[in-house]
Amino acid sequence: MLSIITGVLYTAGVYLLLRRSLVKLILGIIFLSNATNLLIFISAGMTEGKPAFVAKEGAEQTGQMADPLPQALVLTAIVIGFGIVAFTLALNYKYHKQTGTYDLDQVKETDKV
Amino acid sequence: MEWTLLILFIAAGISLMIPSRLKNLKGWILSLFPFGVFVYLLTFIPVIDEQWLIERSRPWMADLGLNLHFMLDGLSLTFALLITGIGTFILIYAHEYMRYYSHTKRFYVYLLVFMGSMLGLVLSANLILLFIFWELTGISSFLLIGFKHHQENVRTSAIQALLVTTFGGLMMLAGFVLLGLASGTYSLPELIIGDIKITQHGWYLPILILILGGAFSKSAQFPFHFWLPGAMQAPSPVSAFLHSATMVKAGIYLLARLNPVLAGTAEWQTIIPLVGGSTMLIGAYLALTQKDLKAILAYTTISALGMLMLLIGIDTELAIKGALIYLIVHALYKGTLFMIAGSVEKQTGTRDIDLLGNLAYKMPITTAVALLALLSMAGLPPMLGYVGKEIIYEAKIQAPHIAGFVTFFGVVSNIFMVWVSIFIAYRVFFRRQYHGFKTPKETSHHFWIGPGILALVGLILGLFPHQLGEYLIQPAMNVIRAESLKVDLKLWHGFNQVFMLSLLTVIGGVVLFMLRKQIIPFFRKVNKKFFDVRFSDLFTRFLDGIMLFARHNTRIMQHGYQRIYLMVLFLSVAFLGWYQLIDTRFWTIGLSVGHLPPYVTLIGAIIVIATLFTLFSRSRMAAIISMGVVGYGIAIIYLIYSAIDLAITQLLVETLTVAIFVLVIFKLPRFAKLSSRASKIRDGIIALLVGGFMTGMALKARNLELQHPISDYFLNHGLSEGFGSNIVNVILVDFRALDTLGEVTVLLIATLGVVALLKIDKS
Amino acid sequence: MITALPILIPLMVVILLLMVGRKVYWLKLIGISGAFLLFLASLLIFYTVRQEGILVSQAGGWPAPYGITLVIDLLSALMLLISSFTAFLVGVYALKGIDEKRHRFRFFLFFHTLMMGVGGAFIAGDIFNMYVWFEVMVMSSFVLITLGSEKQQLEGGIKYVTMNLMGSFLFLAGIGLIYGKTGTLNLADLSMTVRESDQTFLMNSSFILFFMGFGIKAAIFPFFFWLPSSYHTPPVTITALFAALLTKVGVYGMIRFFTLYITDINPFWQNLLLVLAALTMVIGVLTAASQYDIRRILSFHIISQIGYMIMGLGFYSAFALAAALFFMMHNILAKTGAFLVGGLIQEKTGSFQLKSIGGLFKEHPWLGLFFFLPAMALAGVPPLSGFFGKFFLIKGGFEGQHFLTTAIAIWVSIVTMFSMIKIWNEAYWKPAPKDLHQPASHPLRLKRTMIVPVAVLGFSTLLFGLSAGWFMEVLQEAAQVLKQPELYIEAVLKPV
Repeated sequence: MLSIITGVLYTAGVYLLLRRSLVKLILGIIFLSNATNLLIFISAGMTEGKPAFVAKEGAEQTGQMADPLPQALVLTAIVIGFGIVAFTLALNYKYHKQTGTYDLDQVKETDKV
Repeated sequence: MEWTLLILFIAAGISLMIPSRLKNLKGWILSLFPFGVFVYLLTFIPVIDEQWLIERSRPWMADLGLNLHFMLDGLSLTFALLITGIGTFILIYAHEYMRYYSHTKRFYVYLLVFMGSMLGLVLSANLILLFIFWELTGISSFLLIGFKHHQENVRTSAIQALLVTTFGGLMMLAGFVLLGLASGTYSLPELIIGDIKITQHGWYLPILILILGGAFSKSAQFPFHFWLPGAMQAPSPVSAFLHSATMVKAGIYLLARLNPVLAGTAEWQTIIPLVGGSTMLIGAYLALTQKDLKAILAYTTISALGMLMLLIGIDTELAIKGALIYLIVHALYKGTLFMIAGSVEKQTGTRDIDLLGNLAYKMPITTAVALLALLSMAGLPPMLGYVGKEIIYEAKIQAPHIAGFVTFFGVVSNIFMVWVSIFIAYRVFFRRQYHGFKTPKETSHHFWIGPGILALVGLILGLFPHQLGEYLIQPAMNVIRAESLKVDLKLWHGFNQVFMLSLLTVIGGVVLFMLRKQIIPFFRKVNKKFFDVRFSDLFTRFLDGIMLFARHNTRIMQHGYQRIYLMVLFLSVAFLGWYQLIDTRFWTIGLSVGHLPPYVTLIGAIIVIATLFTLFSRSRMAAIISMGVVGYGIAIIYLIYSAIDLAITQLLVETLTVAIFVLVIFKLPRFAKLSSRASKIRDGIIALLVGGFMTGMALKARNLELQHPISDYFLNHGLSEGFGSNIVNVILVDFRALDTLGEVTVLLIATLGVVALLKIDKS
Repeated sequence: MITALPILIPLMVVILLLMVGRKVYWLKLIGISGAFLLFLASLLIFYTVRQEGILVSQAGGWPAPYGITLVIDLLSALMLLISSFTAFLVGVYALKGIDEKRHRFRFFLFFHTLMMGVGGAFIAGDIFNMYVWFEVMVMSSFVLITLGSEKQQLEGGIKYVTMNLMGSFLFLAGIGLIYGKTGTLNLADLSMTVRESDQTFLMNSSFILFFMGFGIKAAIFPFFFWLPSSYHTPPVTITALFAALLTKVGVYGMIRFFTLYITDINPFWQNLLLVLAALTMVIGVLTAASQYDIRRILSFHIISQIGYMIMGLGFYSAFALAAALFFMMHNILAKTGAFLVGGLIQEKTGSFQLKSIGGLFKEHPWLGLFFFLPAMALAGVPPLSGFFGKFFLIKGGFEGQHFLTTAIAIWVSIVTMFSMIKIWNEAYWKPAPKDLHQPASHPLRLKRTMIVPVAVLGFSTLLFGLSAGWFMEVLQEAAQVLKQPELYIEAVLKPV
């Protein structure tokens, strides 16, 4: 089920990236970012309602706890993703402000021979 | 011996440092270097007479089989003497010739580097080292040919010469590498003396063809011949040097050198004579149709090179002997004639033989020198050219398999040669008309000393061929044939079959010359009709074709539409991904979706709906908000599955993202309807392919566990050693603190980057 | 401790740079000293690795595979050495080659975060950590490529950013999947797990993600489009820095992964590598041949030459691997040199367009020499470095009997020669076009800090070529380590 949601998010991200709109480009990147995070999270296996808190000297119950490592990874990835999205947003905003273009098909000046 | 190379390269450096008050002596000073080397090399003649081969080796890249390994034997010595000897006179000649050129400093550097590389080429005892020098001669000759680079045709010629010879060179390199692999060594002495049977090896034919590619292109064999006439765009001293003793002879040298390794097979004795023979004929024929004195000489060079190739291909003792003598003959007379052509051009302002004439009376010394050289070219006694031609005829008559064929073509080309010689003599020196641009007068001694000596050497050797044979040809023959031989050269062989052929040649040449008024226009007409293919143009067109293809290719590849770039990317992802998924049969690993509580299903449904809404919404605001909903939904999933910190972070980040988005939303463009339905469907399919692949991957990863995760360690040590009960936090700040450092750095860069991005043009 | 220097030194420099704000003088001073220090540290590291073998350090003292391990084997050490050397020279060039405005907006800070990312990626012994450093590097490059906010830059930036992000996502997804399957992140541990498992083929689909992630960063076919769209937009100093480092880190990643995980290379991967390598070489070189902007010619050539490196990896013998590494190092030097000379040409003439410049050789023979050296090195003329790279690759290819791919590589090298000669012909030999008068603002004498790095890079291609034997010895040693991951695994996982 969650795998399918991940797939849906990927599909949405890819679809948005293939649009011509600058805004949709950013939306697409956000979707892909979320999808990837979710993928990491679920592919490591999930445990319901057992956060990885270790009570004092309570090491014997660790077997059933949720795997904390992927959570840490995803957390890092989320934050990095945020930095990237913020920068991309600023970039596209700046570009739009400078040129007034919103259609990505117009963005091909630098590939002219 | 190996120091001789270094001396020439050092001389190149010294040439830059000669103070300007010695400028008037520059060529003379520099000529001392090759001359010194020449004299030094002469002292080796008695040495190699006793021991065939002298080797010197220093390790360079020993593991790779590439050492500074040099050898001197009869063959190397012959070439080395020609290079340094003629080089000496070229420098003296250049001294005067280049006087009024600018940037002559560079010229001398190129010339000396070229000379050094050429010497290195003939002294190398390692195939790869030989290749290095081979390419260096290519590059330095490129700079020499292009010396007058303000003219476009000069640039074109230089580039053609470089590309053609580099092309061949790379083939040769490939051949060398194969040869090295097949035999286990790059060392020439080992290849020559050792009993490695390359000719029996399965790779023999490719090796041979690749190496021949190098030799043919360098030695201007048909169909690579066209770069050579172009190379006469170089200043005359360069032409004289390139065409006589160096550059174009490199291919001949290579094949002579590898003769003991590769020759003796039917392939060798078929391919080389065929190419050489046709080159010989084509060159001689094309020489007749030219009007430019240097062009005529250039085409006769091609013809001579063809002849040399042919002889090497015939591969008998006699043929090799003939080749060696002819090599010397040709170097001597061709060097002379090119220098003479340069003098004539200097004094008259033209090289057009229709305009030239009557110079015998105005420039007697030059004329005398030229005549000596022309005699040699025509192969008349008492010049060395005669000795050479006699042996060559003999070799051709006795050639195995193809005697009739090669003898016929040999005689025909020689008749042409005689004719050309008479023609040049008549047109340039003896004809009574003169239409040049300047009033000609005799040149200064700088101009005729060099050519004069070379021509005289041709005469002296013709008179005393025995010494040449004994001291130079014989040692060279010994190494090429790898057996002890006796070489006895004579000027006069008596009245025999060969002499008759010689007589026939001369008569033929004279008769053709007398009929020139009828024949030359006819040849030119034929030429226009049938041979109006200028190979250099063809080559240019070939390059243009590649360029056109390249431009076309660029337009297809680098069109500028980002979404197409992305489409290619995603399609590749989907293609490779699905291929692997199917290859590993992911469905067997399990498609079990797992049992999910209803509230998770509900959240899942909300996420999917919000996603769809984002995709198809026409309003920016709605799209962003529904994207936020998706983000929050994911946060809840994190929460349900025991990831509290994650959920909090996700909420925070999602809120921030949406907030920033909302801040700039009204400065961002509205959604416009830009895509057609068809492209939407196409993109949808691509997106589904990628999404489906990812789903498959996720399923597979969930159900596959090769090893128990390492996280137990964190759970067990988090509290005791990391001093925290929230293990995720402990991981972040302790176990994997380095990740967090990187993460903070990314945020820092992003912040400063946004500042720079937005503010830089306001400052 | 010295293992962490490639991260710590840039970190320290970044902190210092933050403290001085926008004072250009101090930014430059600290920036360039930091770059030099980094080079010295790399020398020290290289020396230590040669003496003592693989350096391993467990960050925070947690034992592998649980903590993050930093590993410097010979390959990493060499990459660090050559990249910090080149980066230092680019830094010197940047003192004058980058304008005041960009310096004020902290060019050197991003330069050092970039170096931090690059260094981190070279020494990370942990796949997620490697991802993090990749992101640091990529993020820095995003900022650098758009630094200045000129229209062309923004436009190139959009494509650059978007496509590089795809690479990052694929890489990250690959990490998640790998962790899901193997439960570990440590490169060595992972390699061991994969080796011990008989289900290696199950990993292939995750490796596809890695392959494409690295492939996008390395700009191989068909993922290279971002490079020619963007590399010519920022100031040439930045392009030179990118040319030296970014794509090569992608290739490094690929080499690292292939040698650690694809143990006995199977036909699928080998064919994939060789076919893509051939296409990358051919398409890169052809597109380059059709260009008339110096920077674009050189940019397309980056792609073509990446193809050579991938080809060496595809041959997969220890020798070919060493040859690919040699080629990569040569390329870093020569390409950076060529780009910087392009910058000098532009300083002199005011243009990168071959059609509007000319006559440089007559007046500036030294500038000619400084271009000729790296350009001929790229074209593979002996005895410059490129020749040896090519020679080794041909040898490796023939040894493995990959005749077709090798033949393509040889053909490509001729077209490369053609492109380089084209620049030479148009910019240096051809007389300057008469109708185009050179802009008056450019008769200035070139600054020494711009000429010296160019000269050093030019001559380093010669020196690198002449000492190719020694480097090849070291590289073959490095390749041996790569071919025997046991050494790497043992060094990392041995009990402290």
